[in-house]
Amino acid sequence: MSKAKISPKTDTILLLGFPGNGLIGTFTISYIISNLQMNLVGEINHPDLPPALFVENGEIISPIRIYKKDNLYAIMSDIPIYPDIEYEFVNSIVAYCMGQKISKVIVPSGIDTGTVDQKDVKTYGLATDASFDKLMYESDIPKFLSGTIIGTDATIITTFRNNGIPLLMLYTSCHPFFPDPQASIHAIQSLAKILKINVDTSDIQKRIDYLRIQHRSLMQETLEALQQQEKQLPTKVPPIYR
Amino acid sequence: MVLPQDWFDIDVSSLPMIKLLDDMEQKILSPLSCIHEHESKWILEFDLPLVDKKDINVYLDENNAMVIEAKLKEKYVDNHTTKHFEYEFFKKSIKLPNNVDKKNVVAHFSNGRLAIILPKIYKGNKIKIQ
Repeated sequence: MSKAKISPKTDTILLLGFPGNGLIGTFTISYIISNLQMNLVGEINHPDLPPALFVENGEIISPIRIYKKDNLYAIMSDIPIYPDIEYEFVNSIVAYCMGQKISKVIVPSGIDTGTVDQKDVKTYGLATDASFDKLMYESDIPKFLSGTIIGTDATIITTFRNNGIPLLMLYTSCHPFFPDPQASIHAIQSLAKILKINVDTSDIQKRIDYLRIQHRSLMQETLEALQQQEKQLPTKVPPIYR
Repeated sequence: MVLPQDWFDIDVSSLPMIKLLDDMEQKILSPLSCIHEHESKWILEFDLPLVDKKDINVYLDENNAMVIEAKLKEKYVDNHTTKHFEYEFFKKSIKLPNNVDKKNVVAHFSNGRLAIILPKIYKGNKIKIQ
């Protein structure tokens, strides 16, 4: 465990992570939560969520949880967000942000750039608000310039933009169909730069192969959810979020 | 339930199917795989973490399925249930499309991912453009 500390700042920030391409959001947010030793402060439940609970060391854990440390919040889902609930899921987070006076939301996610070479891994930023421009520049995060975004990511961007809550999507290039903890390390480092914190990634580096094996089922379930989202589209779209 | 005599000819896809993935008794893990179609080829990929290139065996079986078998560098231990399971191998077979040029199949292994390039073969009559 590293001794990362959140630097004092006035912004109250929410990090949001859920399973998507390469499980980048899942790996990144769960690692940050663990590394910063954030405290579990709540859960998100919905009658249409699959009836699932996790048990760890005898403790019952809900699949969608809320964590907090100082002025940093994190919402983490261990289950894919199916199209039936994505609108309500995102709106419930918007309502939570308003209640907690969250001023910025950051969502790490993955994109398929067609390259599998680890040295080409990059993280791109897509912001709904100009207030992120300076942060991205200072953190060496290039802008996501063109592409099509579908599914839960699109719902998140639209909903937050409509509600006036500044949102930054951090898209890291990854293998979209396999768990990609290696690419997640880049996502974690980019997020750490944005948050101005130090995060030691040696622990995830050591466990890359194990994480890839452990997360096979979640990856498969996530692909099923993404395929359902694709079926709802009127036409075939470029493979940005697949 | 009485099965019809030609039960072995029925379409099994219409039957309730239990997905058999990891085989605890045989210590076999089922790897993730995906296939991409391109104009001139298919690319079949397998995710094989914890594996060295020399420990992978790939072959086409008599049913036109691509079979991959791989030995793990070290045992993978699954402690997520109340029992403790150990796995030593990956194994999976994937039925190939019909138009594969089997003589020119090549494979690459990098970052624990096996990519098998399956060139397409085109058959048919040439149509003259007038």
